[in-house]
Amino acid sequence: MDESQLIARVRAGDSAAERALYNAHVDRVYRLAFRLAGDDALAQDFTQETFIRAFDRLGSFRGDAAFSTWLHTITTTVVLNGLRKVKRFRQREADIDDAQMVGVARREAEPDLKLRLTKAINELPEGYRTVFVMHDVEGFTHEEIGAALGVETGTSKAQLSRARAKLRVALSDFAGEWVT
Amino acid sequence: MTQEHEDPKFEQWLKDAARAYHTPHPTPREEMWARIEASRRNKHVIELRPWMRWAVAAAAVLILGIGIGRWTANPPARTNGAVVASTPDSPNDLSYEIAATQYLSRTEAFLTSFRSDSRGGASGARFAAQARDLLTTTQLMLDSPAGNNPRLRSLLEDLELVLVQISQLGARGEGSETDLIRQGMNQSNVLPKLRSAIPAGPVAARTEGAL
Repeated sequence: MDESQLIARVRAGDSAAERALYNAHVDRVYRLAFRLAGDDALAQDFTQETFIRAFDRLGSFRGDAAFSTWLHTITTTVVLNGLRKVKRFRQREADIDDAQMVGVARREAEPDLKLRLTKAINELPEGYRTVFVMHDVEGFTHEEIGAALGVETGTSKAQLSRARAKLRVALSDFAGEWVT
Repeated sequence: MTQEHEDPKFEQWLKDAARAYHTPHPTPREEMWARIEASRRNKHVIELRPWMRWAVAAAAVLILGIGIGRWTANPPARTNGAVVASTPDSPNDLSYEIAATQYLSRTEAFLTSFRSDSRGGASGARFAAQARDLLTTTQLMLDSPAGNNPRLRSLLEDLELVLVQISQLGARGEGSETDLIRQGMNQSNVLPKLRSAIPAGPVAARTEGAL
Protein backbone atom coordinates (compact mmCIF):
# COMPACT_ATOMS: atom_id res chain seq x y z
CA MET A 1 0.00 0.00 0.00
CA ASP A 2 1.47 3.37 -0.94
CA GLU A 3 1.40 6.39 1.33
CA SER A 4 -1.50 8.16 -0.36
CA GLN A 5 -3.66 5.08 0.20
CA LEU A 6 -2.53 4.95 3.80
CA ILE A 7 -3.46 8.60 4.28
CA ALA A 8 -6.87 7.98 2.72
CA ARG A 9 -7.45 5.19 5.20
CA VAL A 10 -6.42 7.38 8.10
CA ARG A 11 -8.90 10.01 6.92
CA ALA A 12 -11.56 7.31 6.86
CA GLY A 13 -10.86 6.61 10.53
CA ASP A 14 -8.73 3.47 10.23
CA SER A 15 -6.69 3.31 13.43
CA ALA A 16 -4.36 0.63 12.06
CA ALA A 17 -3.49 2.99 9.22
CA GLU A 18 -2.80 5.76 11.75
CA ARG A 19 -0.34 3.49 13.51
CA ALA A 20 1.29 2.51 10.22
CA LEU A 21 1.70 6.15 9.23
CA TYR A 22 3.14 6.91 12.66
CA ASN A 23 5.58 4.00 12.39
CA ALA A 24 6.75 5.17 8.99
CA HIS A 25 7.67 8.67 10.16
CA VAL A 26 8.17 8.70 13.91
CA ASP A 27 11.90 8.00 13.88
CA ARG A 28 12.78 11.01 11.78
CA VAL A 29 10.41 13.29 13.66
CA TYR A 30 11.76 12.17 17.03
CA ARG A 31 15.37 12.46 15.87
CA LEU A 32 14.82 15.99 14.64
CA ALA A 33 12.98 16.96 17.82
CA PHE A 34 15.76 15.48 19.94
CA ARG A 35 18.52 17.16 17.97
CA LEU A 36 16.85 20.53 18.35
CA ALA A 37 15.70 20.13 21.96
CA GLY A 38 18.63 18.16 23.35
CA ASP A 39 16.36 16.55 25.90
CA ASP A 40 14.47 13.28 25.76
CA ALA A 41 11.37 14.42 27.65
CA LEU A 42 11.00 17.51 25.48
CA ALA A 43 11.66 15.50 22.31
CA GLN A 44 8.94 13.04 23.28
CA ASP A 45 6.52 15.87 24.06
CA PHE A 46 7.21 17.56 20.74
CA THR A 47 6.93 14.31 18.78
CA GLN A 48 3.61 13.49 20.38
CA GLU A 49 2.30 17.00 19.75
CA THR A 50 3.43 16.78 16.12
CA PHE A 51 1.48 13.58 15.46
CA ILE A 52 -1.58 14.75 17.38
CA ARG A 53 -1.69 17.90 15.25
CA ALA A 54 -0.96 15.97 12.06
CA PHE A 55 -3.79 13.49 12.61
CA ASP A 56 -6.18 16.29 13.57
CA ARG A 57 -5.32 18.33 10.51
CA LEU A 58 -4.87 15.58 7.98
CA GLY A 59 -8.00 16.85 6.22
CA SER A 60 -6.06 19.96 5.25
CA PHE A 61 -3.21 17.98 3.70
CA ARG A 62 -3.78 18.32 -0.02
CA GLY A 63 -0.91 16.20 -1.24
CA ASP A 64 0.78 19.02 -3.17
CA ALA A 65 4.00 18.17 -1.36
CA ALA A 66 5.22 14.93 0.16
CA PHE A 67 3.56 13.94 3.42
CA SER A 68 6.97 13.94 5.11
CA THR A 69 7.50 17.58 4.09
CA TRP A 70 4.12 18.55 5.55
CA LEU A 71 4.88 16.58 8.72
CA HIS A 72 8.29 18.20 9.13
CA THR A 73 6.69 21.62 8.81
CA ILE A 74 4.51 20.73 11.78
CA THR A 75 7.52 19.29 13.61
CA THR A 76 9.66 22.40 13.28
CA THR A 77 6.74 24.64 14.24
CA VAL A 78 5.98 22.59 17.33
CA VAL A 79 9.62 22.29 18.38
CA LEU A 80 10.61 25.91 17.82
CA ASN A 81 7.47 27.27 19.51
CA GLY A 82 7.92 24.83 22.38
CA LEU A 83 11.56 25.74 22.86
CA ARG A 84 10.74 29.45 22.81
CA LYS A 85 8.12 28.88 25.48
CA VAL A 86 10.50 26.92 27.70
CA LYS A 87 13.26 29.46 27.12
CA ARG A 88 10.98 32.36 28.08
CA PHE A 89 9.89 30.51 31.20
CA ARG A 90 13.48 29.76 32.22
CA GLN A 91 14.57 33.31 31.47
CA ARG A 92 11.76 34.76 33.56
CA GLU A 93 12.68 32.56 36.50
CA ALA A 94 16.37 33.37 36.08
CA ASP A 95 15.53 37.07 36.10
CA ILE A 96 13.57 36.69 39.31
CA ASP A 97 16.37 34.87 41.05
CA ASP A 98 19.63 35.88 39.48
CA ALA A 99 21.56 33.77 41.91
CA GLN A 100 20.21 30.69 40.18
CA MET A 101 22.64 29.26 37.66
CA VAL A 102 20.46 28.29 34.70
CA GLY A 103 22.46 27.14 31.70
CA VAL A 104 25.31 29.45 32.56
CA ALA A 105 28.11 29.16 30.07
CA ARG A 106 31.48 28.39 31.52
CA ARG A 107 33.94 30.88 30.21
CA GLU A 108 37.13 29.07 30.99
CA ALA A 109 38.89 27.17 28.26
CA GLU A 110 37.04 23.97 27.47
CA PRO A 111 39.40 21.48 25.92
CA ASP A 112 36.80 18.95 24.90
CA LEU A 113 35.66 19.31 21.31
CA LYS A 114 32.25 17.79 21.89
CA LEU A 115 31.40 20.23 24.68
CA ARG A 116 32.78 23.19 22.79
CA LEU A 117 30.88 22.26 19.66
CA THR A 118 27.64 21.74 21.58
CA LYS A 119 28.02 25.13 23.23
CA ALA A 120 28.85 26.81 19.93
CA ILE A 121 25.85 25.29 18.17
CA ASN A 122 23.55 26.15 21.08
CA GLU A 123 24.67 29.77 20.88
CA LEU A 124 23.85 30.14 17.18
CA PRO A 125 20.83 32.30 16.37
CA GLU A 126 17.70 30.16 16.22
CA GLY A 127 17.37 30.24 12.44
CA TYR A 128 21.01 29.37 11.84
CA ARG A 129 20.93 26.57 14.38
CA THR A 130 17.75 25.06 12.95
CA VAL A 131 19.11 25.01 9.41
CA PHE A 132 22.51 23.72 10.54
CA VAL A 133 21.00 20.88 12.56
CA MET A 134 18.59 19.92 9.81
CA HIS A 135 21.19 20.00 7.04
CA ASP A 136 24.56 19.08 8.49
CA VAL A 137 23.42 16.88 11.34
CA GLU A 138 20.19 15.26 10.13
CA GLY A 139 20.82 15.35 6.40
CA PHE A 140 17.78 17.28 5.17
CA THR A 141 18.15 18.91 1.77
CA HIS A 142 17.81 22.67 1.37
CA GLU A 143 14.55 22.07 -0.49
CA GLU A 144 13.18 20.09 2.44
CA ILE A 145 14.37 22.69 4.92
CA GLY A 146 12.92 25.54 2.89
CA ALA A 147 9.56 23.78 2.70
CA ALA A 148 9.53 22.91 6.41
CA LEU A 149 10.51 26.38 7.58
CA GLY A 150 8.58 28.30 4.96
CA VAL A 151 11.66 30.02 3.54
CA GLU A 152 13.31 30.12 0.15
CA THR A 153 15.95 27.52 -0.62
CA GLY A 154 18.48 30.34 -1.00
CA THR A 155 17.68 31.56 2.50
CA SER A 156 18.36 28.11 3.87
CA LYS A 157 21.69 27.98 2.05
CA ALA A 158 22.67 31.44 3.27
CA GLN A 159 21.77 30.61 6.86
CA LEU A 160 23.78 27.40 6.71
CA SER A 161 26.77 29.27 5.36
CA ARG A 162 26.53 31.86 8.13
CA ALA A 163 26.12 29.17 10.75
CA ARG A 164 29.24 27.40 9.53
CA ALA A 165 31.16 30.68 9.51
CA LYS A 166 30.20 31.38 13.12
CA LEU A 167 31.12 27.85 14.14
CA ARG A 168 34.44 28.15 12.38
CA VAL A 169 35.27 31.19 14.49
CA ALA A 170 33.97 29.61 17.68
CA LEU A 171 36.01 26.46 17.07
CA SER A 172 39.17 28.14 15.80
CA ASP A 173 41.18 26.45 18.57
CA PHE A 174 40.66 23.22 16.68
CA ALA A 175 41.76 24.59 13.31
CA GLY A 176 44.62 22.14 13.22
CA GLU A 177 42.15 19.34 12.86
CA TRP A 178 40.76 20.53 9.53
CA VAL A 179 43.73 22.46 8.14
CA THR A 180 46.03 19.63 7.16
CA MET B 1 29.04 37.02 0.44
CA THR B 2 28.54 33.57 1.83
CA GLN B 3 30.94 32.01 -0.62
CA GLU B 4 33.99 33.36 1.17
CA HIS B 5 33.44 30.99 4.05
CA GLU B 6 33.26 27.83 2.00
CA ASP B 7 35.93 25.32 2.87
CA PRO B 8 35.20 21.70 2.02
CA LYS B 9 37.70 20.38 4.56
CA PHE B 10 36.18 22.39 7.37
CA GLU B 11 32.64 21.51 6.33
CA GLN B 12 33.40 17.80 6.31
CA TRP B 13 35.18 18.01 9.65
CA LEU B 14 32.25 19.95 11.09
CA LYS B 15 29.69 17.47 9.79
CA ASP B 16 31.61 14.57 11.28
CA ALA B 17 32.03 16.31 14.61
CA ALA B 18 28.41 17.51 14.74
CA ARG B 19 27.05 13.98 14.57
CA ALA B 20 27.66 13.88 18.30
CA TYR B 21 25.45 16.94 18.86
CA HIS B 22 22.41 15.96 20.95
CA THR B 23 22.70 12.32 19.94
CA PRO B 24 19.14 10.96 19.99
CA HIS B 25 18.11 8.02 22.13
CA PRO B 26 16.37 5.06 20.48
CA THR B 27 12.84 6.16 19.56
CA PRO B 28 10.40 5.27 22.36
CA ARG B 29 7.69 4.35 19.87
CA GLU B 30 5.30 2.48 22.12
CA GLU B 31 5.34 4.98 24.99
CA MET B 32 4.72 7.91 22.69
CA TRP B 33 2.02 6.11 20.75
CA ALA B 34 0.18 5.24 23.95
CA ARG B 35 0.19 8.89 24.97
CA ILE B 36 -0.85 10.08 21.52
CA GLU B 37 -3.82 7.72 21.54
CA ALA B 38 -4.83 8.74 25.05
CA SER B 39 -4.55 12.40 24.22
CA ARG B 40 -6.60 12.07 21.05
CA ARG B 41 -9.32 10.26 22.97
CA ASN B 42 -9.52 13.17 25.39
CA LYS B 43 -8.87 16.02 23.03
CA HIS B 44 -12.29 16.89 21.79
CA VAL B 45 -14.04 16.68 25.09
CA ILE B 46 -11.91 19.00 27.18
CA GLU B 47 -11.62 21.89 24.79
CA LEU B 48 -12.90 24.97 26.56
CA ARG B 49 -16.35 25.88 25.35
CA PRO B 50 -17.31 29.58 25.52
CA TRP B 51 -19.18 29.33 28.85
CA MET B 52 -16.34 27.32 30.31
CA ARG B 53 -13.85 29.94 29.25
CA TRP B 54 -15.86 32.45 31.27
CA ALA B 55 -15.89 30.25 34.33
CA VAL B 56 -12.27 29.19 34.12
CA ALA B 57 -11.13 32.67 33.37
CA ALA B 58 -13.13 34.19 36.18
CA ALA B 59 -11.16 32.10 38.64
CA ALA B 60 -7.88 32.81 36.93
CA VAL B 61 -8.59 36.52 36.95
CA LEU B 62 -8.72 36.49 40.74
CA ILE B 63 -5.05 35.57 40.79
CA LEU B 64 -3.69 36.96 37.57
CA GLY B 65 -5.48 40.27 37.70
CA ILE B 66 -2.77 42.03 35.75
CA GLY B 67 -4.17 44.06 32.96
CA ILE B 68 -7.72 42.95 33.52
CA GLY B 69 -8.52 46.05 35.50
CA ARG B 70 -7.99 48.07 32.39
CA TRP B 71 -10.98 46.36 30.87
CA THR B 72 -13.18 45.99 33.94
CA ALA B 73 -12.66 49.65 34.84
CA ASN B 74 -14.18 50.56 31.53
CA PRO B 75 -17.87 51.33 32.33
CA PRO B 76 -19.37 49.78 29.18
CA ALA B 77 -17.56 46.56 29.88
CA ARG B 78 -18.64 46.13 33.52
CA THR B 79 -21.06 43.33 34.23
CA ASN B 80 -21.10 43.35 38.05
CA GLY B 81 -20.44 39.66 38.03
CA ALA B 82 -23.35 38.73 35.86
CA VAL B 83 -22.61 36.47 32.96
CA VAL B 84 -23.84 38.24 29.89
CA ALA B 85 -23.66 37.40 26.27
CA SER B 86 -20.80 39.08 24.52
CA THR B 87 -19.44 39.09 21.08
CA PRO B 88 -16.37 36.91 20.68
CA ASP B 89 -14.10 39.90 20.40
CA SER B 90 -15.58 42.07 23.09
CA PRO B 91 -13.05 43.43 25.56
CA ASN B 92 -14.42 41.33 28.44
CA ASP B 93 -14.42 38.13 26.49
CA LEU B 94 -10.93 38.75 25.24
CA SER B 95 -9.69 39.62 28.70
CA TYR B 96 -11.06 36.43 30.18
CA GLU B 97 -9.70 34.34 27.34
CA ILE B 98 -6.31 35.91 27.82
CA ALA B 99 -6.37 35.20 31.52
CA ALA B 100 -7.41 31.57 31.08
CA THR B 101 -4.91 31.01 28.32
CA GLN B 102 -2.18 32.61 30.40
CA TYR B 103 -2.93 30.33 33.32
CA LEU B 104 -2.99 27.16 31.23
CA SER B 105 0.08 28.14 29.23
CA ARG B 106 1.98 29.06 32.36
CA THR B 107 1.13 25.73 33.95
CA GLU B 108 2.15 23.90 30.79
CA ALA B 109 5.46 25.76 30.61
CA PHE B 110 6.10 25.10 34.29
CA LEU B 111 5.42 21.37 34.05
CA THR B 112 7.40 21.06 30.82
CA SER B 113 10.32 22.81 32.44
CA PHE B 114 9.99 20.73 35.60
CA ARG B 115 10.08 17.52 33.61
CA SER B 116 13.28 18.41 31.83
CA ASP B 117 15.08 20.52 34.44
CA SER B 118 14.40 18.63 37.65
CA ARG B 119 16.68 15.81 36.52
CA GLY B 120 19.57 18.22 36.32
CA GLY B 121 19.47 18.90 40.06
CA ALA B 122 17.75 22.27 39.73
CA SER B 123 16.53 23.71 42.99
CA GLY B 124 13.57 21.87 44.49
CA ALA B 125 12.69 24.96 46.50
CA ARG B 126 12.32 27.01 43.35
CA PHE B 127 9.97 24.48 41.79
CA ALA B 128 8.05 24.17 45.05
CA ALA B 129 7.43 27.91 45.26
CA GLN B 130 6.20 28.10 41.67
CA ALA B 131 3.99 25.05 42.18
CA ARG B 132 2.36 26.61 45.25
CA ASP B 133 1.53 29.71 43.25
CA LEU B 134 -0.09 27.71 40.46
CA LEU B 135 -1.80 25.42 42.94
CA THR B 136 -3.78 28.30 44.40
CA THR B 137 -5.15 29.21 40.98
CA THR B 138 -5.90 25.58 40.18
CA GLN B 139 -7.87 25.17 43.38
CA LEU B 140 -9.85 28.32 42.68
CA MET B 141 -10.71 26.91 39.30
CA LEU B 142 -11.82 23.64 40.83
CA ASP B 143 -14.21 25.56 43.07
CA SER B 144 -15.55 27.63 40.19
CA PRO B 145 -18.32 26.54 37.81
CA ALA B 146 -15.58 25.30 35.50
CA GLY B 147 -15.06 22.49 37.99
CA ASN B 148 -18.52 21.16 37.18
CA ASN B 149 -17.37 19.92 33.81
CA PRO B 150 -16.21 16.36 34.41
CA ARG B 151 -13.45 16.40 31.82
CA LEU B 152 -12.02 19.73 32.84
CA ARG B 153 -12.37 18.77 36.47
CA SER B 154 -10.37 15.63 35.79
CA LEU B 155 -7.61 17.70 34.20
CA LEU B 156 -7.61 20.21 37.06
CA GLU B 157 -7.49 17.40 39.61
CA ASP B 158 -4.54 15.82 37.82
CA LEU B 159 -2.84 19.20 37.83
CA GLU B 160 -3.63 19.72 41.48
CA LEU B 161 -2.11 16.37 42.40
CA VAL B 162 1.08 17.04 40.48
CA LEU B 163 1.38 20.58 41.83
CA VAL B 164 0.83 19.42 45.41
CA GLN B 165 3.63 16.89 45.01
CA ILE B 166 5.99 19.46 43.53
CA SER B 167 5.07 22.04 46.15
CA GLN B 168 6.23 19.62 48.83
CA LEU B 169 9.66 19.06 47.32
CA GLY B 170 12.57 19.67 49.63
CA ALA B 171 15.15 22.30 48.94
CA ARG B 172 17.35 19.87 47.08
CA GLY B 173 14.56 18.18 45.15
CA GLU B 174 15.70 14.61 45.80
CA GLY B 175 16.06 12.54 42.65
CA SER B 176 13.73 9.79 43.82
CA GLU B 177 10.97 12.30 44.62
CA THR B 178 11.20 14.07 41.29
CA ASP B 179 11.40 10.73 39.47
CA LEU B 180 8.15 9.67 41.09
CA ILE B 181 6.46 12.92 40.17
CA ARG B 182 7.62 12.65 36.55
CA GLN B 183 6.44 9.06 36.45
CA GLY B 184 3.04 10.13 37.73
CA MET B 185 2.85 12.88 35.14
CA ASN B 186 3.50 10.36 32.39
CA GLN B 187 0.98 7.90 33.70
CA SER B 188 -1.77 10.48 34.06
CA ASN B 189 -0.92 11.92 30.65
CA VAL B 190 -1.33 15.33 32.21
CA LEU B 191 0.80 17.36 29.80
CA PRO B 192 -0.90 16.23 26.57
CA LYS B 193 -4.30 16.77 28.23
CA LEU B 194 -3.24 20.23 29.32
CA ARG B 195 -2.00 21.11 25.85
CA SER B 196 -5.22 20.00 24.26
CA ALA B 197 -7.15 22.28 26.62
CA ILE B 198 -5.17 25.37 25.67
CA PRO B 199 -7.04 27.35 23.05
CA ALA B 200 -5.11 27.31 19.81
CA GLY B 201 -4.90 29.69 16.90
CA PRO B 202 -5.96 33.30 16.96
CA VAL B 203 -6.82 33.47 20.65
CA ALA B 204 -3.46 32.13 21.69
CA ALA B 205 -1.74 34.42 19.25
CA ARG B 206 -3.55 37.43 20.64
CA THR B 207 -2.35 36.70 24.13
CA GLU B 208 1.27 37.13 23.12
CA GLY B 209 2.51 40.15 24.98
CA ALA B 210 -0.99 41.26 25.83
CA LEU B 211 -0.44 41.36 29.57
